[in-house]
Order: sequence, then structure tokens, then C-alpha cells
Amino acid sequence: MTMQLNSAPLLDFIVGKINVGVFVINRDMDIVLWNHFMETYSGLKADDAVGTNVFDQFPELPRRWLERKINSVFVLKNFAFTSWEQRPYLFKFPHNRPVTGGVDCMRQNCTFLPVRNEAGDVEHVCVTLLDVTDTSIYQSMMKDALRRLADASNRDGLTGIYNRRFLETSLDKEFSRVRRYGGTLSFILLDIDFFKKVNDNLGHLAGDEVLRRAAEIFSHTIRDSDTLGRYGGEEFAVILPQTELDGAVILAERLRQNIEEAEILYDKNPIPVTISLGVTQLSDDVAAYEQLINDADIALYQSKENGRNKVTAFKPSV
Amino acid sequence: MSITPLTEDQRDALQEVLNIAMGQAGDSLARILDAFVELSVPRIRIVEVKEVTNTIREMVGNTADVTAVRQAFFDDLRGEAIVVMDENGCRDLADLMGYDDNLDCQAEQELLLDVSNVLVGAILNGVTETLGTSLSYSAPSIMAERCPVDHIIDPRNLSWTHALLLEVNYSLKNRGFKSHLLLLMAEEAIESLRKAVDDFVESI
Repeated sequence: MTMQLNSAPLLDFIVGKINVGVFVINRDMDIVLWNHFMETYSGLKADDAVGTNVFDQFPELPRRWLERKINSVFVLKNFAFTSWEQRPYLFKFPHNRPVTGGVDCMRQNCTFLPVRNEAGDVEHVCVTLLDVTDTSIYQSMMKDALRRLADASNRDGLTGIYNRRFLETSLDKEFSRVRRYGGTLSFILLDIDFFKKVNDNLGHLAGDEVLRRAAEIFSHTIRDSDTLGRYGGEEFAVILPQTELDGAVILAERLRQNIEEAEILYDKNPIPVTISLGVTQLSDDVAAYEQLINDADIALYQSKENGRNKVTAFKPSV
Repeated sequence: MSITPLTEDQRDALQEVLNIAMGQAGDSLARILDAFVELSVPRIRIVEVKEVTNTIREMVGNTADVTAVRQAFFDDLRGEAIVVMDENGCRDLADLMGYDDNLDCQAEQELLLDVSNVLVGAILNGVTETLGTSLSYSAPSIMAERCPVDHIIDPRNLSWTHALLLEVNYSLKNRGFKSHLLLLMAEEAIESLRKAVDDFVESI
């Protein structure tokens, strides 16, 4: 059996009850239509809304911007849009995840449609308002996951400080920045003395504990602007932006002292740990960031040669 | 998929439709922005997918990094519009569009989307009004932000082989603002446009 429906009441019903905000305004910004969704979330009944100015009813609306937007629909007879990503909401409505949401109010995507009369003129603008709170929550969860993933890919698993890849990228950036804008930069490379003996005599778990504790002490010693990373094995490095060689040597000396004086325990037994360090400052004849690492490595080697537990500043050979 | 190129008559008619649309667009943009908008004579051509990046680079020029916004249009005609502008261009429009001076990142994006939407709608409404077709639009979205021109479209990820490209350049008198509008219609969509143009020619 087929049934002939009069479509006008049906359309009225759909517009009225659909779970999308629908309202219509005229050139004077008076409300002409206000559907059930808008009633529910705004608390304003259609009977009270129709015939009143939308800005009188909702003084918190961003008037200057919204008037311009709606005006562009009248003048251009053009669609217009707002997205929650740039403008979280048009109307401050509650949303349906008050418990699990973590956002303050309903996120909305709005579409402004020009309503043409028979002559083709636009006398009304119809606004549809979609609740995209869920989408916004999922997107911020995804962004958060990506951010944590990106951070994890920059970090050393054992010590939690930055890894070699991140160190080299940062050093390269810092190097380019100094070359472009001037200023200076120093670099410290350091190595735990006789680390192999710790591993051989006390086992790898003891070695891991030494690396973890050393990294912790280093990160407490450096300044906020410095970047600390594990360069590999028992080697660590510090990038010191805007720091002259003298300052870098002072910090290197502090690192050396703090490690020497620290009590690093494994199985309640103290493990004496010292480090050797090489320090270098970026000079005009350094052509690439890799050379800084190389220069610091040469100075580090001299510290080792001279009996370890020492800081050596790199001196270019004439 | 091979496509039948537009005949000379169809191309002429389309060019005429676009010229009319440009006039209307310039007029309505001037009213919205309170500024005189200069529009170039639109160019029509068929591009192959492998040359689309080159074509865009030729149009935009090898300038600094650009920002691109895309927007779909559908109904009687079907395709995507891409608006490409450089950074100086974006700033220039802020006050014209009723934004405050100090734009944060989100406000700047919204401005870009707003402006692109206005530019796209101005032209396409002119086209549909002349052709007597009807058109709807998707919300605009940012497809590339501050990146080299070559990165706007990756031809390897596209499913079409030929597209009709309509190109319009906008600039604002006495201001640095310049932007490029590309309307791309792929394969079957070209046939719909061809039909709309034929109907239009018959009706006059």
C-alpha cells in the first residue's frame, strides 16, 4: 500500500525535530525560525524567539564579526561557514558529554545558507548548527597521542632524556640559527669513566642504573635553555645556546663535580662514578654542526688521556 | 580516461560566462570588502594530472611559501576550488573582513577560510546564475599552510588523469594582496559543464 503524503507538514516536522540546530534570520537580524534543537539548548522557546533580534537575545555573540559574516551571505548570495577548529562555538550551549567530555561547551560547525525568494533575492539567511563535540574530543585525543608519539621518538628509552637523533637535529638548528642571526653556541660531549668495568664487574643492571642516575644528575645541573641528550652508550652531550666557551667550561666543571660527589647506589652499594668532558664553542671556521661534535670529541679524548675526571676545552691546532 | 576537449564554441561561451561572472564577483567583493578588487581575465585549460604541479607553479610563481584553502562545490557542477595566497596577502585582508589587528593562529585560519569562501562563492555564483544551474558548497578547509608551492597537490595521490582548470587572479588596489583561484573539474564533471554551457548557448 502506498500512501500519498503531503510533504509540507512532514518537512516542518523534520526541520523542527532534527537533531541539528536550524534557525533563520532576516536582514534586520530578527529571528524568523527557531527549531526544537535551538529551543532545547538555548532555553529560548520559539514563540519567544521569533520576531526578536538575535543579538538582543544573545548579547554574548561576537556581533561585529557575525554581522559581517551574515551580511556577506545577503550581499554575495553565498554560503558561509564556521568550523569548531577555528571558532569552537557560535552559541554557548551545554553538550551531551558532561561527564566524559572534558570540554566546556558544545563544539559547533555552522553553515549559513542564502534563502532565495522567487525573484532570486536573498531576504533570509538559514543557519544550521551541527554538534561536533564528539569529533572535537576524538581529534584532541588523536593530537595528544601524536604529540606523545613525537615526544617518545625523540627520547632515549632507558634514561628518558633526548636521544641522539633529537640532539643532532637540535644542534643543526641551533648552528643554522647562529649562522643566520649571529650570537654563539657551545657544545659539551662527556663520557662516563671506566663504564665497561661497571658492566663487567657488577652486571648490566648496575650499568643501566648508573646511566639513569647520571642522566638525572645532568638534567638537574644544566640550565633551562640547554639541551641534554644521550649521544650513545655511555656518552652524553649538552647543547648550550648563546653561551661562550668560559661559561660552558664552568657548566662542564659543575657536571663533573656533581657526578663525582653524587652517591650512586646499586643494591645498596655505592658505585663511584666520574666523567670526562670535552667542551667547544662555535667559531667562524666551523663549517657544519658535525665539526662541533668532532671538536668536542677531540677535547674529550684529551681529558681521558690526562687521567680522566677532567674538563678540557677544545683548542684549534694552528 | 581520455576526454573530449571543449570545442572552440564551447570554450568561447565558457569564457564569456566567466567574464560575466567576474564582473559580478568584482562588484560584490567590492561591496563586502569596501575595497576595489581587480580580477584577471580568467584562463581556461585542460591539464593532465602529471603536469598539475607545474601548472600551479607557473600560475603562482616561485614565490615564498604559500597557504592554500580548498572547497568542494557540487550539484549541477562538481569540482574543487583551491585558493592560493602568500602570507602578506593574508594579513592585508584581516581588517577588511572585520577581524582585530592581533590575530592569533586560529583567527588567522578562520580569516583565510572566510576570504577563500568569499572569493570562491563570488565567482561560482556568477557562473551558476549565468548558466542557470544550482550549486552547493562544502565548508572550506586548509590544505597547506606556509609550504612551498610544489607541496600543495601531490599528483601521485590523485585518481583523475585530466581536469579542466579555470584560473582567476585577484588583487586589491593599493594593497599587496594577491591571490590565485583555481577551479578544477575532473573527467565526468567536465561533461556536466559542457552540457550546461551547451544549454546556455541554446537558450540565448
